[in-house]
Amino acid sequence: MTRVFINGIDGLLGARVAELISRDREARIIGLGRARPPAPVGRAEWFAARLSGKQFVELLRAEAIEVVVHLDFAGAERPAEDREQAVQQNVIGSMELFGACAAAGVRRVVLLSHVGVYGASALNPSMITEERPIALATLSGLLRDFAEVEQFAIDFVARRPMLQVVPLRLASLIGGWSPMVAYLTNPGPPMLVGFDPRIQLLGLDDAAEGFARAALSSVAGPFNLASDDVLRLSQAIRLAGQQPAPLLEPVVELALALGNQAILGHWPFGPSFLRYSCVVDTQRAKCELGWAPTRSAAELIQMLRANGRLVEDRAESEAALREFLARRS
Amino acid sequence: MSDDTSPNGRPTEAAEDQPDAGIAGLDQVAPPEAANNAVASPDEYAPAPEIAPGAGAGPDERAPAPETTPEAVAGPDERAPVAETPPAEGAAPKKGARRAASSAAASGKTSRAGSRKNATAPAADTPKPGRARTGGRAKQAPPAALEAASPATQGAPAGAAEEGLDVPVGETKTAPSPTASWFDVPVTGAAPAPGVAPTAAPATSFWSERPIELATPPSAGSLYEASNAERAAGPADTRFEFEVEVRNNVAESVAGEVSEMQNMAAGLLRLVGENMRRMTDQQVERVNQILRNIDLKDYLDPDFWKGIGMVLRYQIDEQVGFIKRRLNGEYSTDPFGMDPEVIAVVRPFLRFMYRTWWRIKAEGLEHVPATGRALLVANHSGVLPWDGAMIAAAVAEDHPAQNDRIVRSLHLHWFSTLPFVAPTLAAMGQVPGLPENAIRLLQNDELVCVFPEGLKGVGKLYKDRYKLARFGRGGFVQAALRARSPIVPVAVVGAEEIYPMLGNAQPIARLLGMPYFPITPFFPWLGIFGVIPLPTRWSITFCEPLPTDTYDPAEADDPLTVLGLTELVRERIQATIDAKLAERKMVF
Repeated sequence: MTRVFINGIDGLLGARVAELISRDREARIIGLGRARPPAPVGRAEWFAARLSGKQFVELLRAEAIEVVVHLDFAGAERPAEDREQAVQQNVIGSMELFGACAAAGVRRVVLLSHVGVYGASALNPSMITEERPIALATLSGLLRDFAEVEQFAIDFVARRPMLQVVPLRLASLIGGWSPMVAYLTNPGPPMLVGFDPRIQLLGLDDAAEGFARAALSSVAGPFNLASDDVLRLSQAIRLAGQQPAPLLEPVVELALALGNQAILGHWPFGPSFLRYSCVVDTQRAKCELGWAPTRSAAELIQMLRANGRLVEDRAESEAALREFLARRS
Repeated sequence: MSDDTSPNGRPTEAAEDQPDAGIAGLDQVAPPEAANNAVASPDEYAPAPEIAPGAGAGPDERAPAPETTPEAVAGPDERAPVAETPPAEGAAPKKGARRAASSAAASGKTSRAGSRKNATAPAADTPKPGRARTGGRAKQAPPAALEAASPATQGAPAGAAEEGLDVPVGETKTAPSPTASWFDVPVTGAAPAPGVAPTAAPATSFWSERPIELATPPSAGSLYEASNAERAAGPADTRFEFEVEVRNNVAESVAGEVSEMQNMAAGLLRLVGENMRRMTDQQVERVNQILRNIDLKDYLDPDFWKGIGMVLRYQIDEQVGFIKRRLNGEYSTDPFGMDPEVIAVVRPFLRFMYRTWWRIKAEGLEHVPATGRALLVANHSGVLPWDGAMIAAAVAEDHPAQNDRIVRSLHLHWFSTLPFVAPTLAAMGQVPGLPENAIRLLQNDELVCVFPEGLKGVGKLYKDRYKLARFGRGGFVQAALRARSPIVPVAVVGAEEIYPMLGNAQPIARLLGMPYFPITPFFPWLGIFGVIPLPTRWSITFCEPLPTDTYDPAEADDPLTVLGLTELVRERIQATIDAKLAERKMVF
């Protein structure tokens, strides 16, 4: 029996991961969130709370948790109000969790991360593999949090052979709210004049599948997860039914230097990601996890466009079905 | 690609009518092609039959000539059956039969052309062989459209012509046998072609490119839309006069310079024509309005250029339309960002540069594998990396397999930092030159082209031309060993002179963040015009591949193996360059 603890079950991704892990009869799932899960969670038992490091140790020990799936990042699945608070939750919270995992004898931590941790640079290969080091220094915002946590985790487990960490580096999620969805759905997504980087996307279901597989398998090391097809940024914007708003790079740099962070609108990453591509190779996840994306990036954007938000909003469908069945009986 | 061309079936019927109507050959010059196809060759990607290996041997191998006969109207895929028709009908003379047989042989090689399926304007199609082989094998190129345009040449003794004599004008007046089959024409017709000195071949191809204009007197009006009936109505003697005129022209142009000019004009017309294919009927009509009363061979006439300018403007319109179509984002790229649609757009231009501007002679293309991985290693020269584009053009245009393989050139990653340049290069299938990219492309069984000299090669001064610079640190050999890919050394001769770089203004380069700032006789003095490359004559030689499967991939980490192989490749390229330089008579 595998005992899995999902930290961050109050997001669509966490709920979906819980549901997928529930398919495994052997697995027992405990979920923790700050609010109700927005979607069915399968057989997972959950509660809403904010735990400190010590309380984590207590919980993990009491439930004899073997695998922790850590998805609790502010700004990843709902907009983060305050940057300082987000760093507190993302970086400090993760450090506490890792400490608790080590103390409670957890075997394996599956960690949410983003392909953006490789950074965007002309010197990056056109398709980045997991061997590429994290480009911590060039990152900002949520990506920096991901990179810091990953770096910390790698250093942390290096001294603790009993603990395995499996960062899953996801392409920008489509499904529910994500920074990329916010960028694509707000009018006039900004771009840089003369640059058109290639991007990858990832469907929420595919991401959840990756987490479920990573949680139940025993392979270590980071994995890239992304759609098979690659879109140009302008193409993605147009597929989403928007017109890109090109900005001159010197203007952007001046504005950023003067502290006007709003110049890039909802663009979730730094300006370098508007210049250079960050496209990853998912071969390793396909070979070692047996994972494969089911939706292409173009499909995902079409879905995003088709119903304003998302088709995969299962909570609504579920509620509608329940209501319908209740009316019928 | 435009789909406005007529379906394949129609030309077939037209072609099958030929044997009956064929006796009145004059009527068949005017192909029933769609108006706006007349100039554009819709199957411009189709290989010129001569390109196929073995197609260029004896006189009989001039089989492709039939494409200028009326039956060529049927489109390339119909050539073979039609060519065989005459013997079946029993109407064709022996020569026709012989020719038919050889053309049937050739048709096998042109089958890919056939699959391109658009109704063909044979006129535009023909010159390709002519110019394709402008350099060495021009003789095999039958600019037979010239002859096809006028049956008068039938009397010309093929033997004499093959011996290198131009057919005198007086002779052409002899014996246009009214009953002679049209199929016969190209045989005798093709024969005079070799008689024309190689320099004249381009000129001939210019004329053959536009037999319609030539065949129809200016009075017949529009080039592109003159109806079949209209053309048929063109009096035979007018056509005859044209023939004489053409002959005179050819005779004149044997004398050199003029023919180069004509070749250039022909290439330009062809480029324009290819782009016209994208125009709407309305646009074509407007261009016709301008060109209606101009004798098109008079390319010194300002109106002629006005017309061309108009076409080019429409081309820009068309590109804008193309961009608009893509505004929905409905296209796809490979993971490296290559966009086949963009490649299709620039291809006519690259073909123009390849065939007409630099008249490139590509040799040894059989050493480039038709499938599977290979690493092309070439010398780099010419300030702007045109050589990479031309190697890709050589493989796309002249490779025996004709399977449109796209060469993925590796470029300096510095280009990825440039606005507009970076996305364009990516769309055209070029990839930043990083070892990971090279290995990945090779493992994907792509054809990869690298220039190990890098900036040292492309930015070398004119006085250092054709002296290979250091070949980097052998990274390309490492990539080839890791991917177990054969290495094909490529020697490019002619690119060094396209921008004779007299000096390098380092301070300006540093100021602008460029790797070098070239000073040539024309740049920066003439501004943007200084960027136009000189029309030198190139040759691209693909050497025998160096197999790497005898090495263990682990040997990629052994500096001795890597550097030894690097030096071997470098020496082979240098030796080939030296040999080609010795062969070369003049730069232009």
